[in-house]
Amino acid sequence: MITALTRTVAKLLFLPSLMIAVATLVKGYADVGDGFTAGVIAGLAVLLQVIVLGRDEVERMLPLRWAPRLAFAGIALALLDALAPLAFGQPVMTHLPPANVKPIHLGSLELLSAVVFDVGVFLLVFGFSVAAIDLLGRASPDRLP
Amino acid sequence: MNIASSAALPALLLIAALAAPVTLVVGRRNPRRAASAAQVAAGAALAAALWNIAGHGGSVDLPWLPTWGATLSFTFDGISAVYTLLASGIGLAVFIYAGRYLPLHLHHTHRPVSEATSFFALLTLFMGAMIGLATARDLLLLFIFWDLTAVASYGLIGFDHTEAARRGSLMALLVTVSSALLLLVGILLLDLTYGTFDMAELARRATPGTELSVAVALMAIAALAKSAQVPFHFWLPRAMAAPTPVSAYLHSAAMVAAGVFLLGRIYPLIERAPEIQRALVVVGVASMATGGALALVKRELKAILAYSTIGQYGYVVVMLGLGGPTGVGGAAFYVIAHAIAKSALFLTAGAVTEATGRRSLDDLGGLARPLPALAVGSGLAAAALAALPLTIGFFKDEFFFEAAHHDGPVMTVIAALGAALTFAYMARFWGRIFLGRLRRPAAVLPTAMVAPIGALGSLAVLGGVAPAPVAALASAAGAASLQAPVDLHPGYRLVLNAPNVMALAAWGIGAALVAALPWWRGLPLALAAAGDRIGPERWYRSTLDALDRLSDWIHDLEVRDLRSRVASVLVPAGVLVAAAVLATPSDRAFLAGSFQAGDLVVGLLLAIACASGVAAARQRNHVAMTLLLSGVGYSLAVVYAAFGAPDVTLVAVLMETLFALLFLTTLSALPQSLRERLRRRPIESARRRRNVIYATVAGAAAFITVWGILSKPAAFDSVAARQIALTPSAHAKAVVTAILADFRGLDTMGEITVIGVALLGLAALLTRRRQT
Repeated sequence: MITALTRTVAKLLFLPSLMIAVATLVKGYADVGDGFTAGVIAGLAVLLQVIVLGRDEVERMLPLRWAPRLAFAGIALALLDALAPLAFGQPVMTHLPPANVKPIHLGSLELLSAVVFDVGVFLLVFGFSVAAIDLLGRASPDRLP
Repeated sequence: MNIASSAALPALLLIAALAAPVTLVVGRRNPRRAASAAQVAAGAALAAALWNIAGHGGSVDLPWLPTWGATLSFTFDGISAVYTLLASGIGLAVFIYAGRYLPLHLHHTHRPVSEATSFFALLTLFMGAMIGLATARDLLLLFIFWDLTAVASYGLIGFDHTEAARRGSLMALLVTVSSALLLLVGILLLDLTYGTFDMAELARRATPGTELSVAVALMAIAALAKSAQVPFHFWLPRAMAAPTPVSAYLHSAAMVAAGVFLLGRIYPLIERAPEIQRALVVVGVASMATGGALALVKRELKAILAYSTIGQYGYVVVMLGLGGPTGVGGAAFYVIAHAIAKSALFLTAGAVTEATGRRSLDDLGGLARPLPALAVGSGLAAAALAALPLTIGFFKDEFFFEAAHHDGPVMTVIAALGAALTFAYMARFWGRIFLGRLRRPAAVLPTAMVAPIGALGSLAVLGGVAPAPVAALASAAGAASLQAPVDLHPGYRLVLNAPNVMALAAWGIGAALVAALPWWRGLPLALAAAGDRIGPERWYRSTLDALDRLSDWIHDLEVRDLRSRVASVLVPAGVLVAAAVLATPSDRAFLAGSFQAGDLVVGLLLAIACASGVAAARQRNHVAMTLLLSGVGYSLAVVYAAFGAPDVTLVAVLMETLFALLFLTTLSALPQSLRERLRRRPIESARRRRNVIYATVAGAAAFITVWGILSKPAAFDSVAARQIALTPSAHAKAVVTAILADFRGLDTMGEITVIGVALLGLAALLTRRRQT
């Protein structure tokens, strides 16, 4: 039962949900959650809009058709982060800074190359969850020509 | 890096490695140039091989897998000299011939000229693999080149894409590659026993014993299969579906020669396993008899030559089995002489078919008049194979007779009879094509197709007049096998010694055999028919059919519906768990702890999970089923929270939500009427019983596994403690994230790739459905 109330609440929830996802992602190294959970949260935020407002209306605000590309960009980013050390003669998945070097701080945020990998995971999971349900939803019989 | 003493061997290896890629690149630009590229590559390889022989070889050692003790080590010794010369020299003659043959062949079969590129690329790949094989000192490396020759031959035999070509190439591949696995097992066994893959080192360390005998037997089986010896011989006649240049190259000088090459290479080990060496004589004699007898009655040109090859390599295997300087050195001589003669004869078969359009002896005759050059060239080659004086073949038989005579009277008789068979089928082959009445008009052949035959024929005569260079090559190869000096002295001696008497007897019996053929041809024909009915080819087919049926059965069982697919994972897993439980001691493995007041919440949550699970199993409405399953997940998520695992709880809640959405969207993709029908359809009792069994097995297995793990929580502490201790050094405060992104980052990489692949599959399936 979708009422004006659910529509309003869903719209209101969208940006805060995304913010929680981003917070989960960047704080992943210090707190509960990581790129994977952040990706699912962001994905659910978008899917809530799709369910409540309908695909067509969401498509006007958000480029849903880009979700698969986002997922593969995530894999590419993670792969790049994993393989980049090879160019410097280091083993695969060597993260910066090394164990005994203090990382650079931006406020309370630490700059770590492992977070780049996590961002890759985030993009993949985000893209996958949106794309999978979008694809399945579009395949429903009432949409078939 | 240790590069070799001289530049000769690196140059040869470089040419071998570059031959195929260069041919491919040149051919991509202009398919007509592919043949030239292959010819240049073969010529360069021939020059490099001669340079190596003049410079007394050398070795190349590059690090490869240091922890396994495997190196990229190559040595150019006497054996390498023989086989690289064959691969490049015969290769050059065949490539020149193929440069003219292939365009005509493609034209006849209505195929584009561009296919010549892949043909010559495969041929040069094969040449490169043979050179690598002949020079490899590390046995693992040798195994890789061994399989590479099989892969290249698969493409070459199946080049025509006809039914016969496909079956023939698959058969050649399966027989040689499955036996190559035995070679690998033998190599690994040697490494386990003596601690090295290096052949030179093995020759020093190996001592007679069971391990050595088993390893040598396995390797010998692979070699015999490759050389098309009984009972693996059946693949060679089927491989005749290949274009003629392929047969001329692979089935006279290269692919089948690789088998006896391996026997020569591991000869120091064979010598220390006398029972295996004696078995070689038996196999060789059986191949001689089978190949010779069938070559005498077959009608199709290439089939005759294929059976002849089986028989001829039988002689070589016998000589290696007899051993001694004459046997081993003579075997190398035999391989060279046979390769020259047989490749010329294969090319002749192709030329005759090209000129007349016929491939059976029954339709041919009298071609000496229209095609005199071809008749002379192939006549010389046939004479060499039949071991007539003034050809190189005379000496191959002389060494064979000497080794056989040295062994005893039984081998003496067998040897003379075998040579008689060779003489007989060669006389029949050449005589029926070129003598007698002209049955069909013959087209004029291009020079490039006749010249290589003439060159090879002249080489056969040159080797018969001045055999010293070939004898030196063979002596060096024999010395490398025997690890003792070998000095072959071929020469004509006009005395009545044993070899000369045996040769005279062979010609006489051979002439009698061919003259009396109409009266006794029933015997080999009956043999062939019996072989077809109960022989090894039949075993091969029935094994293949049985495998096919097994695979069909498993496929049907697994993919009939979603339920059987789930069951095919869960039931075997449950059976494995049951086996593990039965095999491990049950003492204190399953503990039931006490239940305290503080556990009440957890107990309640678990009760909700159980109730939801049971309700989901009884429910027929799909939406309700989905929501009940989510209920199981959510209550378990709260249980994790109660145990203080916030990360797991968060993931569990999120995944439950996402899965519920996925299920519901999937359900919405099914038409309402279908869902209604599924809901109301009664479940047959047999299926219900099956479902109960599947569910019970899977549930019991999961229950036992979890119970067993929970009964001893301390078992996994070591890894966890280490990861917690390492977390600060990864600049992390959350252990789970550090594990996912850092400690086990490669696992995560693999997993996200799987998710990406799943997305691709989903997109492919659903978008196709929308289009149709």
